[in-house]
Amino acid sequence: MLHAKDLKELDIAFKQYLGDNGELTLILRSLKDMPKAKKTKIGREANELKNFLNVKFSKAAATLKEKAQKEAELKEWFDITAPGKKADIGHLHPLTLVRRKVEDIFESMGFSVIEGPEMETEWYNFDALNIPKDHPARDLWDTFYLKNELLLRTHTSPVQIRYMEKNQPPFRIIAPGRVFRHEATDASHEINFCQVEGLMIGKDISVANLKAIMQEFFQRFFGKSAEIRLRPSYFPFVEPGFEVDMKWRGDWMEMGGMGMVHPNVLKNAGLNAKEWPGFAFGVGMDRLAMIKYKIDDIRLFYGGDLRFLQQF
Amino acid sequence: MIFSYNLLQSFFSRKLPKPDKLAELLTLHSFEVSEVKKFKSDHVLDIDVLPNRAGDCFSHVGIAREIAAITNYVPAGHLPKGDKLPKNKENSAKDFISVDIRSQSYCPRYTARVIGNIKVGPSPKWLKDSLAACGLNSINNVVDVANYVMLETGQPLHVFDYEKLDSKKIIVRFAKEGEKITALDGQKFDLNPKILVIADGQKPVAIAGIKGGKEPEINEMTKTIVLESANFNPTIIRKGSRELNLKTDASVRFEHGIDVNLTESAINRAAYLIQKTALGKPFRDSVDFYPQKVYPKKIKLDLNYAESLLGAKIPEREIRNILMRLGFKVIGVRNQLSVEIPTFRLDISIPEDLIEEIGRIYGYDKILPVFPTASLIPPKINNDMLWENQIKDILKEAGFTETYNYSFQKELGSVEVENPTSQEFKYLRPSLIPNLLKNIEKNIKSFNQIKIFEVGKIFYDKTEKRMLAGVAAGQDFYQIKGAMDLLFDKLGIVKVWYDDYQATPAAFGEPRPVLAGREDSPKSLWKEKKSAEIKVGNIEVGFLGELKNELKIVAFDLDFEKLKTLAIEDQAYKTISKYPATIRDLAVLVPLTTKVEEVLNVIEAAGGSLVADVDLFDIYEGEGISDGQKNLAFHIIYQAQDRTLTSIEVYKIHQNIIKSLEENLTWQARK
Repeated sequence: MLHAKDLKELDIAFKQYLGDNGELTLILRSLKDMPKAKKTKIGREANELKNFLNVKFSKAAATLKEKAQKEAELKEWFDITAPGKKADIGHLHPLTLVRRKVEDIFESMGFSVIEGPEMETEWYNFDALNIPKDHPARDLWDTFYLKNELLLRTHTSPVQIRYMEKNQPPFRIIAPGRVFRHEATDASHEINFCQVEGLMIGKDISVANLKAIMQEFFQRFFGKSAEIRLRPSYFPFVEPGFEVDMKWRGDWMEMGGMGMVHPNVLKNAGLNAKEWPGFAFGVGMDRLAMIKYKIDDIRLFYGGDLRFLQQF
Repeated sequence: MIFSYNLLQSFFSRKLPKPDKLAELLTLHSFEVSEVKKFKSDHVLDIDVLPNRAGDCFSHVGIAREIAAITNYVPAGHLPKGDKLPKNKENSAKDFISVDIRSQSYCPRYTARVIGNIKVGPSPKWLKDSLAACGLNSINNVVDVANYVMLETGQPLHVFDYEKLDSKKIIVRFAKEGEKITALDGQKFDLNPKILVIADGQKPVAIAGIKGGKEPEINEMTKTIVLESANFNPTIIRKGSRELNLKTDASVRFEHGIDVNLTESAINRAAYLIQKTALGKPFRDSVDFYPQKVYPKKIKLDLNYAESLLGAKIPEREIRNILMRLGFKVIGVRNQLSVEIPTFRLDISIPEDLIEEIGRIYGYDKILPVFPTASLIPPKINNDMLWENQIKDILKEAGFTETYNYSFQKELGSVEVENPTSQEFKYLRPSLIPNLLKNIEKNIKSFNQIKIFEVGKIFYDKTEKRMLAGVAAGQDFYQIKGAMDLLFDKLGIVKVWYDDYQATPAAFGEPRPVLAGREDSPKSLWKEKKSAEIKVGNIEVGFLGELKNELKIVAFDLDFEKLKTLAIEDQAYKTISKYPATIRDLAVLVPLTTKVEEVLNVIEAAGGSLVADVDLFDIYEGEGISDGQKNLAFHIIYQAQDRTLTSIEVYKIHQNIIKSLEENLTWQARK
């Protein structure tokens, strides 16, 4: 038994003693024909031997099984360098991912997400925002006009006005959405793109507050190393007006326009600037995505090329 | 706009910071400098002057004023010294030329000088160099001076040959229908009554504020000139410039508005320089049409307000200093200042404008970020966004890739773009499907299986609404139907059913445009017999089906606005039975046209509550099945919530189902 090389040999040994016709089995079977005294003695010894052998056999069997398994495992293998099978998953558009991140950051700071129409009136897109007709300032926005007397909004700023008209201050909102510009397309210009507008109106809101919110946003979006600066700029709906630049990998990059909401805009929405000052900002989401994912051509977002989209 | 570093330096006796450093200062305090370049012995700065500052900063003197305010260098805001004119006792300009302005509303001021004894010739080097640095060609020593003074002061000037002006008259009026003019460069223009002109007694001699005419051009023969320094209504110049599709250095300045008080100092400066470069003798006096004088206005500035708006405490002394450096006069005491605004600052009209001036010169980098204090009002939940995100996630889990397409298309739509950038983008999309199809065409070469979707606005008349649409190639109808079932299930929308596709408008009072991609279009994209209307109860929420396209594309088109109102966030947990289920298979032979749903309805009705689920696992037609028939194979799952079903119970229900099925004589259960 102890010399059995494998389970098969062990089984032969087992059968030889404990099988149906095994030597010990035969002895136990012959007990009934024996005289009583002999029966007791031999019976006890035979049973002890049987128990002893059973224990030994099962131990030997376990050892051999383990050995056999180990041998088998040594032979089995996977070519772990062969490619995995591709999981059939879907993909969200990079601008959706960016938009969600933007919304999460601002929602965590108490901003509600509001939307507005993509076809707008001249009033909401321009006049209410202090951009008069026949004024060169309108040239800042190349506009698509529609034959139904509306236009395609050139920025998400009209949402500010629509929101202020219907709600009571204080406000904290962002308005993400699609905007349109009538211009020639190239790697950094598209005829439609995505923007997020922000508005905060409250007692004593200041430039210092705007700076803090912007810095917080860019650092949460791009990481703590993102540094911002404000530069003077001009947008008719804010005063003072700024351009915000972000220092990213050593270069200053223009990220968006912003400023303190112009008193005329507040007036158009029925508010008094001295009582309810506030700031507004607009940041291009395509630009955020381009920097985040190192995309060098804005047109990729709207081209529907799956080789691009399935990377996200 | 291009500026010459050397010309900017000419306003200061102290050496300016190096060009790159100067550019950085201007960028941080005034305007972005997009480029600094060496140009011969000069440097040129390309400065993006902001449109509201064009009035004073489309000029070197304006930029010099900015530099003075930023650096605290003196002097600022003054022309170089030495432009006093010698007295000319002989002739008065008023005796030589008359100026007739029909309305001051389109020409608030017209200043003219007459200069005699002109020797026209080439310009001196310093003049040529300054013009070249700013990108202007040298013409002669008179015209160049006019251009130079425009670069210096921002006031466009024009020169006429006095001898060539008919009746010695200058009239500012609108052009008459049919009048024409040949410009200095030989370009011919047809004029119309929207265009303001300078005319002599007979005809237009210049397009006012835009470009001079060829006729009274000066040349070597010219002896006497009329120098014009005028102020025109910005809107009129802007419209005229658009009408003629002609932008010039002058028109750009006029359309942004210029200080009306600038005409005089600029014309005197030019007369002084012409005297130096072309030996001209300016006549006594100028002709000056200026009926309504413009004076500096005053703005009250509350320094507490300034501090609260900027969120920074700037010492009062510093504020006064900044304002004075910018050329403002500051009166008033303590926190209430009265600030006198020079007329060249057309952009300053409210206290906030002054606060911006203080902030930017002080330096926005010195304003430290401070978080606002606000009530702890949590953001409102936006249900549109909530469901849009949810839908996108579900489709992504179902293996779809999200695309963003243009809101435009070339195929007919209800909303036409007035000024499309190309024929490809002539209409706003009335459906998401056509552009999604283009995505398939683009990708089909690289992918055998495509599943894409988009959530976006479609446009009809003056309305827009959000849709959810998707297309798939290399997938069959039932795979996409499965994805739809998953979508509705995850949105908690029950009672979804698929109705026969109908090419007639459904009766829900919704506008039904005749448009490509829409259900009732004559050019409907859907294959009628392979498409379904998706309904929830009796509300039609969209379509699912195969499109008329060689690529066998399966598409869905759902109304997001309806989905969002039907979706339910709560999901109730269904108790999992502790008792074992019994599965019995059942095959039913039915005519080809029989719908699975009809069979399912019978099974469910006959089975009752103990049938936990019925699962169609095979539809077979072909070999072994007689023509015109198909075999439907179901797993029927029997299960109770409260006990283990006995085999006799299951047998009885199963027999009942078979009996009910066979009540339809064309159906045959295969036991």
